[in-house]
Amino acid sequence: MRFPRLAFEKRLTISRGLTITVPIASLVLGFLSAAPLFFAVGVNPILAYQQVLGVFTSTDGLTESLTRGIPLLLASVGLCLPFKMNFWNIGAEGQLFMGAFAATAIVFLLPDSPAFVLVGSMMIAGFIFGGLWGLIPGYLKARLEVNEVLTTLMLNSVAILWVDYVVYGPWRDPEGFGFPLTPMFPLNARLPWIPGTRIHAGLLIGLICAVIVYIFLARSKWGYELKVTGESRLAAKYAGIDYLRLTLLVMLISGGLAGLAGMGLVSGIVLRLRHGISPGYGYSAIIIAWLARLNPLAAVPVSILFGGLLVAGDALQIGLGLAFATALVFQALILLFVVGAEVLTRYKLILTWG
Amino acid sequence: MPSKEILLQMKRIVKRFPGVVANDRVDFELRAGEVHGLLGENGAGKTTLMNVLYGILRPDEGEIYIRGKKVEIGSPREAIKLGIGMVHQNFKLVEPHTVIENILLGLKEPAFMLDVKESANKVLEISKRYELPIDPKARIWQLSMGERQRVEILKALYRGANILVLDEPTSVLTPPETRELFRFIAQMAGEGRSVVFITHKLDEVIAISDRVTVLRAGRNVDTLHREQLDKTRLASMMVGREVLFTLRKSAVTVGEPVLEMKHVTVMGDRDFPAIKDLTFTIRRGQILGVAGIAGNGQRELTEAITGMRPIASGEVRLCGKEIGRDSISHRIEEGIAYVPEDRVGVAAPQGLTVAQDLVLRRYREKPFSNGVFLNQDEIERNAENLIKEFNIMVSGKDAPARTLSGGNLQKLILARELSGEPELIVAAYPTRGLDVGATEYVRSLLLKQREAGSAVLMVSEDLDEILSLSDIIAVMYGGEIVGTVPAAEANVEEIGLMMGGSLRKP
Repeated sequence: MRFPRLAFEKRLTISRGLTITVPIASLVLGFLSAAPLFFAVGVNPILAYQQVLGVFTSTDGLTESLTRGIPLLLASVGLCLPFKMNFWNIGAEGQLFMGAFAATAIVFLLPDSPAFVLVGSMMIAGFIFGGLWGLIPGYLKARLEVNEVLTTLMLNSVAILWVDYVVYGPWRDPEGFGFPLTPMFPLNARLPWIPGTRIHAGLLIGLICAVIVYIFLARSKWGYELKVTGESRLAAKYAGIDYLRLTLLVMLISGGLAGLAGMGLVSGIVLRLRHGISPGYGYSAIIIAWLARLNPLAAVPVSILFGGLLVAGDALQIGLGLAFATALVFQALILLFVVGAEVLTRYKLILTWG
Repeated sequence: MPSKEILLQMKRIVKRFPGVVANDRVDFELRAGEVHGLLGENGAGKTTLMNVLYGILRPDEGEIYIRGKKVEIGSPREAIKLGIGMVHQNFKLVEPHTVIENILLGLKEPAFMLDVKESANKVLEISKRYELPIDPKARIWQLSMGERQRVEILKALYRGANILVLDEPTSVLTPPETRELFRFIAQMAGEGRSVVFITHKLDEVIAISDRVTVLRAGRNVDTLHREQLDKTRLASMMVGREVLFTLRKSAVTVGEPVLEMKHVTVMGDRDFPAIKDLTFTIRRGQILGVAGIAGNGQRELTEAITGMRPIASGEVRLCGKEIGRDSISHRIEEGIAYVPEDRVGVAAPQGLTVAQDLVLRRYREKPFSNGVFLNQDEIERNAENLIKEFNIMVSGKDAPARTLSGGNLQKLILARELSGEPELIVAAYPTRGLDVGATEYVRSLLLKQREAGSAVLMVSEDLDEILSLSDIIAVMYGGEIVGTVPAAEANVEEIGLMMGGSLRKP
């Protein structure tokens, strides 16, 4: 008896054409695969596709995609660094929450400062707190070999619950009808924004950070150290690379950028801290960083497209009255196809009989 | 001999890889009770042929017969069922697991790892019968390479191997361990089982084989019987040209001390001293050859000098300066070059480009770095120069290091380490696994460096290498230097006794 067998064979070189055609083809397949879903909930798939494509063809849809892309961009750029050295930082979500918390604390501390002092301090505080939240698992891993996947993941819960504590407790808005949120920020605590949209200065910061991190990775001696460490920790040791110092540096920046993403959410969008300030941007950023192949510049378009996917989910709910869960399933299908097909850019699929 | 039953026949085996034909219509025959040497340079196709036999690779063409019956071997599991066992050059063991767990791994019985006692007894029985002592509860990472090989052999025997393939088995062994292995191989053959012995070491293949099949560039050269075996003949069959076996070693004036070890104690992985109160000196222009059975502190010694492992007490002085507690990067700056045992995982990361690997321990220095940014132009120029100077065969400076053969990888490592004009070179097993040509070259590089005034500490399992390169031979046993002999007065028998711990000569 002979059975067909599928085998993967590593491509020796990755062609540019494939890195474009594979994602596009997988998008199309993802859309098609969602058709039965739309049928099942009684919606004409064509109408659904129109809603989704509308996100990317209308000004409102595009600006909103950019807006949603900002925290994704900041967090995913940050994640490129630890992932390069095989440090699995799953904690961008928690680092983001700590950044949002610290930025809010600054508003409570210096409510009457001029805008640039206040916003500047919020940014610094957001970066530092996010960074410190990243340093904890970094230190534990480098010094005591504590698995960073567990620590970063568990610290997410700690950070999210800590923010819940302050918005349900001491910082709750007395005039907020009991909702878990802080009072609205004064105008001097708001990041500059493009009038008529929700796009704020975080986008510019994200773009600058993407460029800086790209140069850092490609040209600096630390970028080289990251690459060597990612290859093999023993090789890094042999090369005289100080693993502790490198890990702390990387996690400070990575957590700091996630913290900035959190600062951008409270200071640019929501204008207060509240329960569930992020719907999981820190987790989505992990997928984005990998789809971008840990290239911070590639993370820019991927983040915006990902933002668009989130907006598309909203559009399906609002425009066609689909349930939240249905929209989630649609997003998940698209992601499944894109992430799943990514492997085909690096491997050839070979069918053999035997 | 030819009267014995033909156990295995491989006929016209062809195996192609992208861009190369690794086996080109290769024939191979194995008789019951035979030790069959498979000889050839690196890349000659020896391992490929045996991987085909063991079901790891599928031949593109050709047939395999066992006891005259045609077989298709689709996986190692099927090979094992046919009584074939293979010990790879890079052991396939799970390091955090115990010996017994590794031996049972992949077997259907016992279904759950709950009662391993019975299996452990069976393993101990085999280990006693073949005099292959092992502690079934030891964890693999705690074992020396020689002991790990023993685990692999026991694994094959436990599975009932009738044909045992050993891929370069002596490359991780010391002379006494090699003798032990040969004794075991003879015992196997005496029981009517067969052993395929893959190697490129001529002396060994002559010492033990009933027949030898020589491969070159993926093709059969010839198969010779025991009485036809001759070193010069085999070497020229293998390489395709005449080979010189002697090294020219010139007289060098010995200078001031470069490395001084004073009462150094170092802890091993198993939390007891791996090196005890070690004291010795190497001077400019001297090669100190460290002989000993693997696992007697050699690794810990090289790691302690280079900074990979902390020292518990004592002093390490380099050119008079105490460096025993300095960081690795500082020791690199002070002029310690290090050619470690593990090339692939440590010395030349496989995913980096050749150019990147060529600055691995030097990227902080000028002109490669200005403290913040790396100077790509200088890194590339450095690569071009070293590739040319050291004759590294590579498709380009941007090729990934994984595309290099073993010999070229070692050239790359030596090129980098020697280009920094080191005071001290610590070289662990510098020619292990290299073919005749590359070995010649690596040894000549070490000698050249000695003439240039460096001090060299060389650990090797190859006693011939130690005798021909060293000025002083230090024999390690149980973490101590049990004897130091000038190479000129060295006596192989005496060194062998010291390696076994039965002679001390301060």
